[in-house]
Amino acid sequence: MTVEIAGGLDSFGLTHPGKVRANNEDHFVIATLRKSLALEHTSLENMGSFDGMQGSTARLFIVADGVGGRPGGELASGTAVETLLQFLTRTVGCFNTVNVEKENAFLISLDLAVQAAHYRIQEELGAGGHSPSTTLTMAALIGPRAYLVHVGDSRAYYLHRARLRQLTDDQTMGQFMVDAGAWSEEQAARAGIGSNLTSALGGSEMTPRIGLVDLTPGDTLLLCTDGLTKHVSDEQISGVLESEASAEEKARRLVDMALESGGTDNVTVVVARMNG
Amino acid sequence: MIQKKVCMVGLFGVGKTCLVQQFVHSMFSAKYHSTVGVKIDRKIVSLDGREATLILWDLAGRDGVEDITTTYLRGTHAILYVVDGTRRETYDQVFELRDLARGVAGDIPSAVALNKMDLNEHWLLKSKDEQALADLGWHAFRTSAKTGEGVESAFTWLAREAVAAGEKSG
Repeated sequence: MTVEIAGGLDSFGLTHPGKVRANNEDHFVIATLRKSLALEHTSLENMGSFDGMQGSTARLFIVADGVGGRPGGELASGTAVETLLQFLTRTVGCFNTVNVEKENAFLISLDLAVQAAHYRIQEELGAGGHSPSTTLTMAALIGPRAYLVHVGDSRAYYLHRARLRQLTDDQTMGQFMVDAGAWSEEQAARAGIGSNLTSALGGSEMTPRIGLVDLTPGDTLLLCTDGLTKHVSDEQISGVLESEASAEEKARRLVDMALESGGTDNVTVVVARMNG
Repeated sequence: MIQKKVCMVGLFGVGKTCLVQQFVHSMFSAKYHSTVGVKIDRKIVSLDGREATLILWDLAGRDGVEDITTTYLRGTHAILYVVDGTRRETYDQVFELRDLARGVAGDIPSAVALNKMDLNEHWLLKSKDEQALADLGWHAFRTSAKTGEGVESAFTWLAREAVAAGEKSG
């Protein structure tokens, strides 16, 4: 699935079940939200006042990794993405340029959108200890500003001037223990429960993290599930994103690298590059 | 409900994220994570029987004042400048930070958190330093993101000032 906007953005998303699992519990979305007024015929003379209403857009990028086994995990990630899109279609319509007056309300609405998805998953798929749940990482790109919402261990990265930075912190037991000073990074990687989620949509704990970053031409965003990051290092990711290839070529290369390194999990990537 | 945007501003590693985490989640992490862009948190505070939502913008710290991304400060209602009391240069540069922020955000309520007060043996600030802030009309709070000391007071004071300023301006 691809969205290409001349002079603006080159983006591509790709998902693969991997080489071990029979089903794919990941989902992704690349979408454009448009609020526009297309004037057809008018007696008005002051047309300049309508300039800001024609063609302003917000772009959404989402990845979600379902947990809970077939068919629950797939349903959980699908429900999360669907609910988020429904919620944001209703609320983002009034916020499609960076506007400091409306920005606070928009940030709160992002939080509310994730809460809505969380409760819908619990209502439809159950809320017990082993009920289906899902990670979710979303970027809403409005003007140069990328608003991020994150739950679980899917990740968002940002390549700026050849430097790769991770925008999200994994919400896992391993990361929790490292942050608490109880485990080293190596202990967290070795421990069986290290990859258990401490926060997930539909799970018993759900703590969405929200952030933002201003992008400049040439910057690249990457959203991915842990099927990529458990096999492909940050250095390798950086190497792919720094190349001159298209977003589609980069996405395909990243998924291929995960598969070549074992492909033990579903793998999903969304690459979006601000054209310079 | 009243909503107020509060920006956390300070150089790299002064404890901005830890102060927010302590205030919002009553948590302290010993492991340092540098912030990329801005992390957003919110907390509802009760002010004299009224509630206000603080939307906390935790701006990435930088090595120098010139590296701070000022576009994030637009529309903020209050600023909490953060100084690491064990690193003298973070105090020295807070005056320049204030000039920079005022250029974007105007004359809005602000306070200074003199953070890491739990590190007594490494504390470098003198009483005259705190007096210098007071002489400039700055309200300074000694804080510890680790123990929580002074954290609630700093944010609550700033929230009250931001709400009062909003009411004054109509």
